[in-house]
Amino acid sequence: MLQDGSTQLLCLTASSGVPLFTRGASKQLPFSVIGSLNGVHMFGGGQGALLSSCETEGGGKVVWKVFHDSVMLIAVSGGGSSGACIGEEESRLQRLLENVWSCMVLVLGQDELVNLRNIERLKRDLRSCFCLIDKLLEEKHQGVLGDLTHCADSLVPPNPTPLQEAVDGFAQAADSEFGCLFVHGRIVVATEKWWRLAPQEVVLLCALVRTLSASGSASCDYPVFLPQGSPTVAHRLLRFQLLPGADVCVLCGPTPSLQKAETELVGRFWSPLIETLRSCLAVGERCLPGSVPLRPDVLALLLINRETRRSVSCVQISSHHPLSDSSLSKSRCWELLKLFYIFSISRYFTQEETLCGSPEESTQSSHTEDFLHGFSHQPQQCYLVTEECKSYGLQTQQHQFFLLVLPSVPTFALRTVATQTLADIISATAF
Amino acid sequence: MASVSPGLCSENTLSTAQKAKEDGDTESTSSSFSSSDYNYDLEPEWLDDIQKNGELFYLELSEGEEEAALARVAASQCLSTNHVRFSEKEAEVITEQAGTQRRGSRRKGEPALKKLARILGRKRRPSQRKGGKDGSRGKATPSPPASILKTQPGQQQGVAVQQRRRLKEACVYLNPKRLASSPTPLCERGGLLEALLGVVHRPAWTGGQTDRGAVRQDGRLTVHGLIPNSPAIKCGQILIGDVLLAVDDVDVSPENIERVLSCIPGPTQVKLTLETAAPVDSAAPSDSSPAQKMKASPPVSQLVRLLWGEDTAELQMAIGHIPHIVMYLSLKLDSSSLQEEEEILYQYPVSEASSQLKGVRGIFLTLCDMLENVTGGHIISSSLLLGKHLVHVGYWKEHNNLLVVGLPAERVPLLSLQTVVGDVVRTLKVMYGSLNSAFCKPDHAPRLDHFFCLFFQQLIQPWRLREGAPPPLPDVSGSLFLDGLPAVRWLTLPPEIKMEVDTVLSDFESSDFGEMSEDFFGLRRLYVILGSCLFYKSYLIANHLPKEDLLDVCLYCQHFCLLPLASEQRVGQLVIWREVFPQQRASGGPAPGFSQPQGRHFLLIVGLRHFMQCVLLEAGGCASPALGSPGPDCVYVDQVKATLLQLNTLEAAMEERLNVPSAPCLSCADWFLPAATTRDRLDSLASSSPVLSKLAGAIRGSPSGHRGRSLFGEKSRRSSPQRSLSDSGSEGPMDAGSGLPAAPGLSPHSTPDSGRRIGGRRDSLGSDGSGGSGGLFKMPRMKHPNPFYLGTLKKTLTDRETEEMYNTTKLTSGTENTLFHYVLMETVQGIFIAPTHREVAQLSGSIHPQLICNFHHCCLSIRAAFQQSLPARGCRAADRSQRSGWGLGPVKEHGVLFQCKPENWTDQKKPAPTMTYWVIGRMLLEPVPQEFYVCFHDSVPEVPVEMAFRLSFGLGL
Repeated sequence: MLQDGSTQLLCLTASSGVPLFTRGASKQLPFSVIGSLNGVHMFGGGQGALLSSCETEGGGKVVWKVFHDSVMLIAVSGGGSSGACIGEEESRLQRLLENVWSCMVLVLGQDELVNLRNIERLKRDLRSCFCLIDKLLEEKHQGVLGDLTHCADSLVPPNPTPLQEAVDGFAQAADSEFGCLFVHGRIVVATEKWWRLAPQEVVLLCALVRTLSASGSASCDYPVFLPQGSPTVAHRLLRFQLLPGADVCVLCGPTPSLQKAETELVGRFWSPLIETLRSCLAVGERCLPGSVPLRPDVLALLLINRETRRSVSCVQISSHHPLSDSSLSKSRCWELLKLFYIFSISRYFTQEETLCGSPEESTQSSHTEDFLHGFSHQPQQCYLVTEECKSYGLQTQQHQFFLLVLPSVPTFALRTVATQTLADIISATAF
Repeated sequence: MASVSPGLCSENTLSTAQKAKEDGDTESTSSSFSSSDYNYDLEPEWLDDIQKNGELFYLELSEGEEEAALARVAASQCLSTNHVRFSEKEAEVITEQAGTQRRGSRRKGEPALKKLARILGRKRRPSQRKGGKDGSRGKATPSPPASILKTQPGQQQGVAVQQRRRLKEACVYLNPKRLASSPTPLCERGGLLEALLGVVHRPAWTGGQTDRGAVRQDGRLTVHGLIPNSPAIKCGQILIGDVLLAVDDVDVSPENIERVLSCIPGPTQVKLTLETAAPVDSAAPSDSSPAQKMKASPPVSQLVRLLWGEDTAELQMAIGHIPHIVMYLSLKLDSSSLQEEEEILYQYPVSEASSQLKGVRGIFLTLCDMLENVTGGHIISSSLLLGKHLVHVGYWKEHNNLLVVGLPAERVPLLSLQTVVGDVVRTLKVMYGSLNSAFCKPDHAPRLDHFFCLFFQQLIQPWRLREGAPPPLPDVSGSLFLDGLPAVRWLTLPPEIKMEVDTVLSDFESSDFGEMSEDFFGLRRLYVILGSCLFYKSYLIANHLPKEDLLDVCLYCQHFCLLPLASEQRVGQLVIWREVFPQQRASGGPAPGFSQPQGRHFLLIVGLRHFMQCVLLEAGGCASPALGSPGPDCVYVDQVKATLLQLNTLEAAMEERLNVPSAPCLSCADWFLPAATTRDRLDSLASSSPVLSKLAGAIRGSPSGHRGRSLFGEKSRRSSPQRSLSDSGSEGPMDAGSGLPAAPGLSPHSTPDSGRRIGGRRDSLGSDGSGGSGGLFKMPRMKHPNPFYLGTLKKTLTDRETEEMYNTTKLTSGTENTLFHYVLMETVQGIFIAPTHREVAQLSGSIHPQLICNFHHCCLSIRAAFQQSLPARGCRAADRSQRSGWGLGPVKEHGVLFQCKPENWTDQKKPAPTMTYWVIGRMLLEPVPQEFYVCFHDSVPEVPVEMAFRLSFGLGL
């Protein structure tokens, strides 16, 4: 039996049902269960009844998805992981499966996954995705919501102009149009072309850079396939650590070599900006420069720019706050923010879809929004009062904004607090 | 039948009939009701319908309704056939006589059920119609006399003139049950022809009395006269001089007419074929107005037909392409059995789309068995994609069997699937005790087919069952939400009426039937009356049942659409009797030391006109134990009827109550939109603005000392913000329109400090706020119209009247009434209140219906959020330490802001105006558990908890 709250990921070949790998959950499900889970889906597919999800008492959930008729991914979540409502857990798992598939494409390329010639070799090759997939499965990871929102987690630097110039120049010098600067795993600035990548690719590249930088090496050269842009042709991802916590990377062709770029280009472009980078590092997890005022009773916020597909999120716990309930930890705040985001998205707000795979797959996954289509009028804002906090979400043409505040804020003032905070952030950062 | 002496019965019916006469009300329809409902016969009408197992479902529409309905069906040339119900023996007689009749498919295993003799393939003439409503309802004057007395000159010459004779068909509604009750003894000479049909035929007619004197032809049934107020004259197509050729395609002659007519067992419509001398169309040209034909709509009787057990095929065909299924599967494999598909214990329906679902039942069985070991919980639901249809499948496991219900996602969202499945399971359990006993008896199959046909029809195409054309925007979520609430719709009544109703019910429940009671004869009681509840037009108006029993009864009524039935059409007579298994009683009482008496329970539902009373009876325990399957007992049925008749005097008061806008006034959403056309604008101005400005003026002129506690004193009527007790200035923003100078308080930009202060205070409102606002609502409010629904009245209003009008309680704060809709559910009593259908209908408009749909849809989501947090509430203490599995935590309040634009906005130059409104749900645990859903305009910030208190205290729940 699966532990409460854990998610297990099963990957099998769609045609033959050979298990490729399982990740997550400390204890693997018995093979008979894996076989049956695959079997029911396969049987249904043959009968014209495509099984997409299942739910059990206590919030357990199973979600199936087949990619390109070659790989079947199954996510099994044990009851009560997030205690979320019915639709929410499902949309989280759906998104997880998409991300995992994209990860596999990113690392191995679509060709190898779609044309299963040598299963044993594929099994071996897939191991290189594991660290990335484990990152996605890891729920406790704080401060990064990109895999959920499909919007790049960003950090707003106090002084972006020199950084932007440096990235542009650096990318150009490296014969690339795609360059990006990360601080704490969040994007600070990037070249214009970088933002033209599919949002999901940006998010996955962020995740990849995070795992690479976590390995501690100063630089690396990693081949990547872009799930949307070039699923069959690999590019080189060059990553250089500028400071601990600050990385720059470019996507480039065969030239330049890692050696050359590291010795010639990095120093040239970045050494003058060390102080600016330090100030970026100082912004830290708040993601917003100090010039942006935040009310003391704000617990957490997530701001998404729907046009640029970037997001800013932060949790502010001031332990000395006289009224703050000390029981609300930082990790709990992140969890609540995540849950509230999923809650709002699955019921009221639209989420721009960037789906990998064929159109019929996209119709399959869009049915989670059926409830949304039932509304005859457009939901604009919503709030939720729970015992721990009060949450407010609003959607405008350009932004989606989710805010968690202390329970002491009166309910009828929530709207004002939210709109005010949003206006403050936008005016201060032009996000 | 239980053993009651016939003497008892007859005496009793006599007494009730006398009572009926005393009660005789002044409505023009009373004649029909008293004549159809009472009989001096020993046997009640429903006696034949009792089934072998004692169950009874007898439904008879009131005369006017049924005729109108049937006539509409006929006139609209609807595709469905008409049916005549015959009992088995008699149908055979007819079959002998006329080989044209085909027997309808008989339902196996139900020998005692009504048999249907279906007469198919009739041709109807499009010109056919009936005399019109006034004709059928009028007391004595038949509507168009011209249609009875032929005016054409050709007729004057009598029959000898052999004009081109034509055949015509007329449909008349006959009710043989009424024969028994008619005060005149069964006609000596005319027999059934006169008594039932109202056609006078004198075999040896000599002619003298009428100058057109129909000459008798041997062997022909010439109409020599028509009896006033009879079906024949009401139908307006049977003319003197016509010759009756056939009844329901059975050729008739003076010899066999009595026999044929005697074969009609119950109220039905029959087709008469007549030979006439004149073209029918010219007889009553005024009748053929297209409006009347347009009005014709078959669905009136669709629901009734369904309840009668007829005609499920057509309805089922209409949804055949939508995948839906119910299956009861066995998880036990018995390899020795040779039967095919033996794991399917029950399945419905058999259609193409459902066979696909049936084909993958292996998935359901496997998942049900396996997932329990994977995630540690029973499977609840799964989603399948069948072609383009997404289907949600709900599961319910009982012992070794599995109930699977597949429903299309566009009708039932995943959020409410569990409620729907839970309700249907509970209904089945109430009816049969357990799922196993419901599904595993083969002779239940036809009844279950009927049960699930109703179930799917209500979910997938509810508009087919209702009157009128399908609404452009079916409020699917509305019925899902309201039916899914563990509560019954309640109608608050003025206290004096309420008391009267309760007294009458209590009198009945005391089982003191005087000479009718078993005590009188020294016998042990047959049944103990556990309680009863009373519905008027689908609203619960009195309940003397414990909550769980009430919910059981209500689920049954909901499932069989009895509530809408009683509200849409007047029920002539409804008698339902069946054994039930109340869930609370079946599972044993809540208290450990106390055990419920091991009795059997019976549900008796009697409906008369718009009233319906449900009585829960217990046999065994104190009363004598029930043996076998007893049928309904005449005494009890008649006592309930007597109770209802007693209550009939209150009908006027009920109607008055329904006509008066209830406590919190509602606004129409369209009034808040700058109107698209000038006409609309005028309307909205007329209906709201002048009054508003007057009101605002009145308030502005009033002294400013109206704040604080004095709000709830005498002067409270004038002050707009009946908002809070805690006002002392800080809660003033809603007064912006009224111009009160104070109240800088909680403007949108308030500081967190003041906000917190108020927030803290708000929570205390529950306790100290109750008294005050309770007082507020004691103001007289009955007769005042909704200030926003004035129409032309407003011109004549004086200031004083305006002021008085303002007394109507208003739920929202601020000068304008911004409330659109509300639902308040009282969990303990199991009731909820919402604006009445009539109130909603009055607020017509184009946006408003959309808004209500949207409100209900949103409520589904809000309630799901509340539900999800309920288990969390239970194990809160244990879970708090280990953070996982905590989720969002218990949700207290949840709101969504919507924006709407008028549809088909034509003005290209200006952007469409928008209107924003909130839908907010609030769960209250103190002082009584309540759930409150409200929808109001965005202009005023509201505190839902206060609104909920205001509403519940104001309505005296």
